[in-house]
Amino acid sequence: MGDRALSRRGFLAASAAAGMGVTALSACGGDSDGGSSDGTTTVEWWNISTTEPAKTVWAGLAKKFEAQNPKVKLKIVQLENDAYKSKMTALTASGKLPDIFHTWGGGVLKQQVDAGLVEDVTDRTKPWVDGLLSVAKAPYILDDRTYAIPFDIGMVGFWYNKALFKQAGVSTPPTTWSGFLDAVKKLRAKGITPLALAGKEKWPGMYYWAYLAMRTAGLDALQKASDDKDFTGAGFVEAGQHLKELVQLHPFQKGFLGAAYSTPTGQAASVGNGKAAMELMGQWAPAVEADAGKGLGKNLGFFPFPAVEGGKGVITEVFGGGGGHALRKGAPQAAVDFLKFFASETTDIQLVKKTGVLPVVPAAESAITDPNTKAVQAQLKGATGFQLFLDQAYAPAVGQEVNDSVAALIAGSKSPEQVTQSITKTAKEEQ
Amino acid sequence: MTRKTKAVRTLPLHVALVAVGALMVVPLVYAALSGFKSTDELSRNAFGLPEHWLTGNYTDILGSGDFWRLLGNSTLIAVATTVLVVAVSALAAFSFARFAFRGRELMFTFFTMGLMFPFAVAALPLFLLLRYLDLLDNPLGVILPQAAYGLPMTIIILRGFFRQIPGELEEAATLDGCSPFGFFWRVLLPMARPALGTVSVLAVVTSWNNFFLPLLVFTDNTWWTLPIGVQQFQGQYSAEYARVFAYLVLAMVPALAFYSVAERQLVGGLTAGATKG
Amino acid sequence: MTSTFLPDRRSGPDVELPPPSAAFARGRARRRLLNWLTAVGFQVPALVLFIGLVLLPMLFALYAAFFRWGGFGMPSDYTGTDNFTRLFKDPVFLGDLWRCLVLVVLSLALQLPFALAMAVALNQRLRGRAVYRMLFFAPYVLSEAITGVLFSMVFAPDDGLADHVLGGIGLDGLGGEWFADPSYVMATLFLVMTWKYFGFHMMLYLAGLQSIPAELTEAALIDGANAWQRFRNVTLPLLAPTLRISVFLSVIGSIQLFDLVWVVTQGGPDHHSETMAVTMFQYGFKRYQVGYASAISVVMFGICLVFALAYQRFVLRRDLEGATTTMRGDGK
Repeated sequence: MGDRALSRRGFLAASAAAGMGVTALSACGGDSDGGSSDGTTTVEWWNISTTEPAKTVWAGLAKKFEAQNPKVKLKIVQLENDAYKSKMTALTASGKLPDIFHTWGGGVLKQQVDAGLVEDVTDRTKPWVDGLLSVAKAPYILDDRTYAIPFDIGMVGFWYNKALFKQAGVSTPPTTWSGFLDAVKKLRAKGITPLALAGKEKWPGMYYWAYLAMRTAGLDALQKASDDKDFTGAGFVEAGQHLKELVQLHPFQKGFLGAAYSTPTGQAASVGNGKAAMELMGQWAPAVEADAGKGLGKNLGFFPFPAVEGGKGVITEVFGGGGGHALRKGAPQAAVDFLKFFASETTDIQLVKKTGVLPVVPAAESAITDPNTKAVQAQLKGATGFQLFLDQAYAPAVGQEVNDSVAALIAGSKSPEQVTQSITKTAKEEQ
Repeated sequence: MTRKTKAVRTLPLHVALVAVGALMVVPLVYAALSGFKSTDELSRNAFGLPEHWLTGNYTDILGSGDFWRLLGNSTLIAVATTVLVVAVSALAAFSFARFAFRGRELMFTFFTMGLMFPFAVAALPLFLLLRYLDLLDNPLGVILPQAAYGLPMTIIILRGFFRQIPGELEEAATLDGCSPFGFFWRVLLPMARPALGTVSVLAVVTSWNNFFLPLLVFTDNTWWTLPIGVQQFQGQYSAEYARVFAYLVLAMVPALAFYSVAERQLVGGLTAGATKG
Repeated sequence: MTSTFLPDRRSGPDVELPPPSAAFARGRARRRLLNWLTAVGFQVPALVLFIGLVLLPMLFALYAAFFRWGGFGMPSDYTGTDNFTRLFKDPVFLGDLWRCLVLVVLSLALQLPFALAMAVALNQRLRGRAVYRMLFFAPYVLSEAITGVLFSMVFAPDDGLADHVLGGIGLDGLGGEWFADPSYVMATLFLVMTWKYFGFHMMLYLAGLQSIPAELTEAALIDGANAWQRFRNVTLPLLAPTLRISVFLSVIGSIQLFDLVWVVTQGGPDHHSETMAVTMFQYGFKRYQVGYASAISVVMFGICLVFALAYQRFVLRRDLEGATTTMRGDGK
């Protein structure tokens, strides 16, 4: 009897406490609006820079902007990559985007623009936007109108272990596809894993196919295929065949189909710990290799994706992307001012120096110290053509299909023709 | 039976239990140990004892106010959700178990339908609905849907248990002039304590680990719960796996602690209810 | 003195009732209405929550399944049953259905009996059983994120704990690529699922076992039944309602499996561990084809519904008679 009374009291107490707690707190919840009671505008800035050093540096820049613009308060909302994407999907569906938000450009941005949610900043940024690197601006220009301003640009290329190359007798990095296949064979002959690949994540595999398509079919054909929604051209099938050639040499690390990219047992760590000789990755590769694994330091080298003999593309054509900031439709002028601030030379020098990104303002390149970064920057500057990451450039469904199909090709379950067919099919469905 | 033969009898059982227990525990121990290592030690010496016991990972997290705030949020939301879902479900389950009324099975099927709908798809419409009701950035925006989605499972389990209470008890109660609610409150609930304990634990655990819903509802990080914190942390320190492990382990501890306490309650309730007169 | 609902809720033949009269008959009709209102009254809070927050979004998703919708604004591109026809021609989805069946069968055949065995083992007075109980349940308490990260490390090829352990006890050849191997990924996944979820079922069974009065098993013991006979003839039948719930939840859970798969393999390699829910998530949140994803969820729902109805009708029906009080119109 005593026990029952006790339990009931406990139950009542718990529910009372919970009830009170919730009502008390819900009274002060949901009260965050950019109210300007004293003339200050609060501008929300959503980004994904949750890692150091970017996090602190960006916070510092925000403070600097506020100091220069006393009537503006910047409210930073930071989410990590995947959470950010999910949240943005929900926000887009509800029709209200944040004032300033991170964007990767291309297909998703286009969808948001088409839904009428993004501010067209072409006219308001015209005075200063020409000072930026043209490859950097490319992903955010749709139908000749600018919808976002870049802060970061990069490209994908081969990062390799100089010592392992030497060990296998590969004296210089290959500049042709056949030379590349040779290098792979030599490495394998010496028992060294030639390539690390994060098969689980699919996008690293897509890089191979994308570059091969650029090199065989050419940039124009790639653009045309996207416009016509038809990827079945011979050049694309050839690209798949070249990739198949590579896969048949068994160049990847054991268990690559299940490997992730940035985990301690993943692609970056494989290279960073000296277990694999190369990876095809973006400009952030050295940082992640040093984080997930030990890092190669001076032993790390970079070379661009080789040219394919007889293909229409050239070695100076670049595949990559970066990050930018877009504004929601109707965002306050302060937001536009922020774009200008963030893209200024002074800011860019800060970003390059302290966060190691590649400059979008050409003048800022003097701040680069790391030789590998310099090499990548040189490639970018000398680029004769640019292609944005396929899973960003195209509509999300098509981008995903590219990733999926190429992963299937690598796993051996799809032929090069089937790859082009399924991409085309998805592209046509997306109309 | 002599103590020796009894021990010998139970030995194979113990061996089996220990083996299973080891399988359960090893991954957890691995996680805990990893928190004491540095990340690149993880890729070199993944499964041995740490070369140097780095307490930094753990202490850094415990020292930051953020972690405790997230912990508090998760706790508050979990408790509120549990109280709500168990109370509402008990009422409904009572009705299903002890009353015969027209349309009963239909209504029961109606509730169980909720089990069959994957949350991820309801997420988008739910988000729009919550926005319309102005429940975003409000803990109720998480508590109410969590309770709602917990109803089917809880009602099913409670109904099963409520049915097992003998009818004679009920008659005795009504003969004493007890109303249905009185019977519910004073006789049924105390007797169903194991079941209540079970569903409470389930509700707390589900709420504790829920990631997607709080992510959608909370923009402002004041109300963030632990799983979001884990994801943020993982994103922020993504390559610093040792730190992530430390965070994960710390995030596990409250849930495990709660379970160990609740477990005792379960046992306590059982021994009390087992006395027969 | 008698309460309003007593005459209708009696069970058993040994209670006498006064002979019916006209007034009594009218009163009884009123009482029946009151009875119904009370019963439904208890349901009201649950109904409000449920209809508002579960049913409404569900109906919306059902609506969206007939459109091609990118998730922005409202669905506007009506496509009829196109999404559904596309679904049943999609080899990945058909594979999902097959894998779902495999999971259900494996769970019912292996996971549940294992949980039952553990519950029985822990139901006795055993040294340290509280510790065991906590250990076995602990994995359920963990979030999917942790489990995923943990087991990616455990099953990493060559470097992982699993391979280390197998090497240590000399079973080197057994280790493979685990999650990276298209042929074995489902089996590995099932291992992880069992690790994580069997504790939940064990808990259910434990609670069920503990409500079986000890006298019954004691009586059987006195009658000379051995442990297996006691289990089969006393414990199992009395545990049946709990077992039925557990099977139900297990099947539904297998059909809807998402979190664990997403975190560990994302459906790979090459779709070999993909479940319907994973496909749905891919299309809904990554490919922005929300109409198609809604169609997948409708199909999932349909499968669960058919199962639930059939289960309800053929299996759970037996639970309806007996333990509940029934409405008797004639007092018999």
